[in-house]
Amino acid sequence: MKWWLLLGMMLYVMAVGGCGARPTSILMDRLVVEDPSEEPDGMAATGEGSVPAFAETVAPLLNRYCLDCHSSEKARGDVVLDSLAIDSEGKEVVTWQRVAQVLRFGAMPPVGKPRPTPAERDAWNAWLDATVFRATCATPARVTLRRLNRTHYNRTVQDLTGLDLRPADEFPADDVGYGFDHVGDVLSVPPVLAERYLAAAERVVNQVFQDPAARRRLLEPPAEDFVPYGARGLLPVRDEPRKVLRLSAADGPATLDATQRDLDRAGLVLRVFADRAYRRPVRYDELTRLLRFVEESQKAGEGTEPGLKLALQAVLASPHFLFFVERDDNPMRSASTSPLNDWELATRLSYFLWGSMPDETLFRLAALGTLHQPRTLRAQVRRLLADPRSRALAQDFAGQWLGTRGLQGLAPDPARFPDFDEPLRRAMLTETELFFDAVVREDRSVREFLDADWTYLNERLARHYGIPGVRGEEFRRVSLADTQRGGLLTQASVLSITSNPTRTSPVKRGRWILENLLGDPVPTPPPGADNLKFGVTPAGSTLRQRLERHRADPACASCHARLDPLGFGLENFDALGAWRTHDDDTRIDAAGVWPDGSTFDGPAGLRAYLKSRGDDFDRCLTEKLLTYALGRGLTLTDRCAVDRLVRQLARGGHRFATLAEAIVTSDPFLKRPSQQEEP
Amino acid sequence: MNHRQGISRRAALRGLGVSVALPLLEAMLPTRASGAAAPPARLAFVYAPNGKHMPAWTPARLGVDYDLPPTLEPLRAVKDDVLVLSRLSLPKANGNGDGPGDHARAMATFLTGCQIRKTDGADIRAGISVDQAAAAVVGRSTRFASLEVGCEGGRDGGTCDHGYSCAYQTNLSWRSPSQPVAKEVNPRLVFERLFGSPFSGGRDAEARQARDRRSVLDFVAGDVNELNGLLGAGDRRKLDEYLTGLREVERRIQASQPVAEVGQSRLTRPTGVPQDFAEHARLMGDLVALAFQADLTRVATFALGNDGSNRSFREVGVSEGHHDLSHHGGDPEKQAKLRRINRFHVEQFAHLLGRLKATKEGGGTLLDNCLVVYGSGIRDGDRHDHDDLPVLLAGRGGGKVRPGRHVRYSGGTPLTNLYLALLDCVGVESVAFGDSTGKLPSLGG
Repeated sequence: MKWWLLLGMMLYVMAVGGCGARPTSILMDRLVVEDPSEEPDGMAATGEGSVPAFAETVAPLLNRYCLDCHSSEKARGDVVLDSLAIDSEGKEVVTWQRVAQVLRFGAMPPVGKPRPTPAERDAWNAWLDATVFRATCATPARVTLRRLNRTHYNRTVQDLTGLDLRPADEFPADDVGYGFDHVGDVLSVPPVLAERYLAAAERVVNQVFQDPAARRRLLEPPAEDFVPYGARGLLPVRDEPRKVLRLSAADGPATLDATQRDLDRAGLVLRVFADRAYRRPVRYDELTRLLRFVEESQKAGEGTEPGLKLALQAVLASPHFLFFVERDDNPMRSASTSPLNDWELATRLSYFLWGSMPDETLFRLAALGTLHQPRTLRAQVRRLLADPRSRALAQDFAGQWLGTRGLQGLAPDPARFPDFDEPLRRAMLTETELFFDAVVREDRSVREFLDADWTYLNERLARHYGIPGVRGEEFRRVSLADTQRGGLLTQASVLSITSNPTRTSPVKRGRWILENLLGDPVPTPPPGADNLKFGVTPAGSTLRQRLERHRADPACASCHARLDPLGFGLENFDALGAWRTHDDDTRIDAAGVWPDGSTFDGPAGLRAYLKSRGDDFDRCLTEKLLTYALGRGLTLTDRCAVDRLVRQLARGGHRFATLAEAIVTSDPFLKRPSQQEEP
Repeated sequence: MNHRQGISRRAALRGLGVSVALPLLEAMLPTRASGAAAPPARLAFVYAPNGKHMPAWTPARLGVDYDLPPTLEPLRAVKDDVLVLSRLSLPKANGNGDGPGDHARAMATFLTGCQIRKTDGADIRAGISVDQAAAAVVGRSTRFASLEVGCEGGRDGGTCDHGYSCAYQTNLSWRSPSQPVAKEVNPRLVFERLFGSPFSGGRDAEARQARDRRSVLDFVAGDVNELNGLLGAGDRRKLDEYLTGLREVERRIQASQPVAEVGQSRLTRPTGVPQDFAEHARLMGDLVALAFQADLTRVATFALGNDGSNRSFREVGVSEGHHDLSHHGGDPEKQAKLRRINRFHVEQFAHLLGRLKATKEGGGTLLDNCLVVYGSGIRDGDRHDHDDLPVLLAGRGGGKVRPGRHVRYSGGTPLTNLYLALLDCVGVESVAFGDSTGKLPSLGG
């Protein structure tokens, strides 16, 4: 099923002469395309003739625009482009990605040097897409074994016990990778966390036994076992004939002594608890081991309960609870990818949309073995999104995508912002959460994130915005027609976290828009960009005048020409997102000039621009949400999947649920590569 | 004075309610019979983010007669216990082809001396940090192999420094090249970890609890081992981390190690994270000092902030963000504010040293048996450079170091040469550490 576009093609652009015009020659060995018809995606990604040949299209461009600085001889910024292998797997692909990025961004060549025409740039990018980036679309990358993060842990314990205990508040912070705090590669288990897991298990079990309702739920579970026969392995045969593991009335004779009866009951309690905690049927051999705790305490004359409590603690400290275990049931399977089983799928699905464990319905569908059917999956996505628990998406996904979790640490200068207080901080966060949640639960178009003319306000925030007629602490939907606001970008939360404590930061705001809405990661500044090249800024200059100095240096100008105007368009919003017409005594100038010379003015102009780039926003959101759904960074192998998701989103009228459904039914979500031993 | 058997640490803590105020009982000192063995050497690293305004840092005079520029002025009371080490560098914190990201590199390279891998998550890789290298050996004889604390927690999502995972920018300690060790920022949790929650059962209950915990540990370790056989190498690494943590807990349960008692302490049980930075930092310093004093651990790291931190410091009248200010662009007003922050950080360090010095141990003070490094992975926040770093070393390491001097090394001397020497001082022989080129000379005078 897989095809490889083998580019065993080494290209050398050899600098022959010394000075002046650069005579170059290109040596091309071979280009082998193996069986492109087998491309699983069904997309003619590299049909013959559609790939612009390197020698004709790209090499001349490299020559004309890049090699003056980025040749083996000069190697500005350590970037060498004249001897770069075209290889979609090696580490040189990173350099190609950087080339694509700066091209897309227009960051290179620097201002003042000859720059490629839009047509040339498109041809170049088409070549990069078709050859370097598309070669390995077949096999989704592997998700490194993930543990529950702190928010997962808290919600899961709540769903398991019915008690909101928040034990993970005392766990050390989860590290962040690819913008999110649940990426397996960076979630480590430091020793202090292992300690806290054990302590939390003790605490949770003790609290459950102290709470009458929670205790009853735990100790009187429904006896019905909907797990299919055989899924728990073989019933164990024990040495002592009387100690048969009985999990339901059907498993043995009805007359038993009290000890055996208590043991049976404990077995039932543990089975039901461990099924849910492990998010799959607990096996008989596992249950037998758990029951030993109970047998021990019975033997010691302490009764059943102390042993049962220890067994429950053991479940909560087991890696089967703490980690998202996904494994091959058949290690002999040779295919490069294998589908997840329905239990694993239920787990991925519920942690994606609820940030917590699957519910009874998902477990039953997994037990029936029908969850993976596309129609069932789509129906479950709709159900989960409509459930209030999908608020987790607003808190965990949006809070990190938009960076609004950072509001917790916001500390504006009290001298400049004496009105800032806790109610305002909370209101900012709540507005964005409710707004995002409404788009999700009402299945609105994701484009409303850019330009919705409504939001949620309470009196405190409405006063901050200067919008009359909103009374009380309750949030309600408010129309933004005839105001300067609309969409995420003009919410106080976003405007505040992209500001410094004493002032706005047009650069930060510009970068935020490019990275979080348009999917244009801002290229890293060249080495030394932070140096004080410009000397001391003249006293009394405005922020805008200071930033205009970015244009003075060609190395800065090419990027800042794209960054700064976006930020300037928001200058009418102060560092806490309140409307202003003056900064100190200077009248705000919110006009901007795009690199192509066209102009715009203020937030409305900016919004119109963002709407014109709706397709880029779709792709950006898709990539962020897919990263979040998978708990890993996207790689080149995901490119085809992303392309398809973006198309599905557009076909579905840009509705949020369409995107969630498309993600959940995509290969990266449903499958994983088989075990590969690392060297 | 060897009748310590009946007096456990818990017994001493019991009944004291919320404050630790323990009489110094020689009976509870570790095994050393009066003067037979020297007190153990302790090693600590204190990190300050975003570099320093160096003109106010570097003393003009060398040797014992060194002066205290404004930023170092808070160290006056402990000047004779401090070595100012000039011209040490972290060459691996430079881009070296990886482009920008100096804050991430400064933090993750400071104790590792390694070129960290530029990745947002997949295959994060730094190196083993010096504290963990020491803890792997000297940590075996204490309840906690090492202690990691700080005043600023992890990131709440979003991107960090130019394509580097936030893990680099929020962690000083690395147990393995791929396993950062998260720091604890809540003083209450540090306190409870070190000294346990109030425990009201009798000795029998204590013994039973130990037995129960061991049985749970055995079960979980069994699960981990079974699962390990079914997973690939990358996944096994994650489980191994857990298993290592479990083993440490197990060791702690088994060895009811004698613990030196702390003297009359003003420290009361902290209730949470103080709003005031100085209070927060001092509490953390107190806890490190207390942990050293009671020989609960001999290795600690203490990050006053994450590199690139944009915290403001109203406590000293600075309402701008620290990172924002550090890009001062030569503006004298911003530099003045930076100096205030720098000095404020040094005050917290001075507090820790004061605590260590006020604690008697053996014939001298606890500080005499410590080696405490203070520094930044960036020199000037406006330039993001990693040469001529601001670095201090306090304490005598049990007599191996002669402090009270300003020593200037030749430019480009790796900071890791200092670490190699420190590892030697605490009895961890190594031929190289990170990018070291040899043991830093002249520490002993």
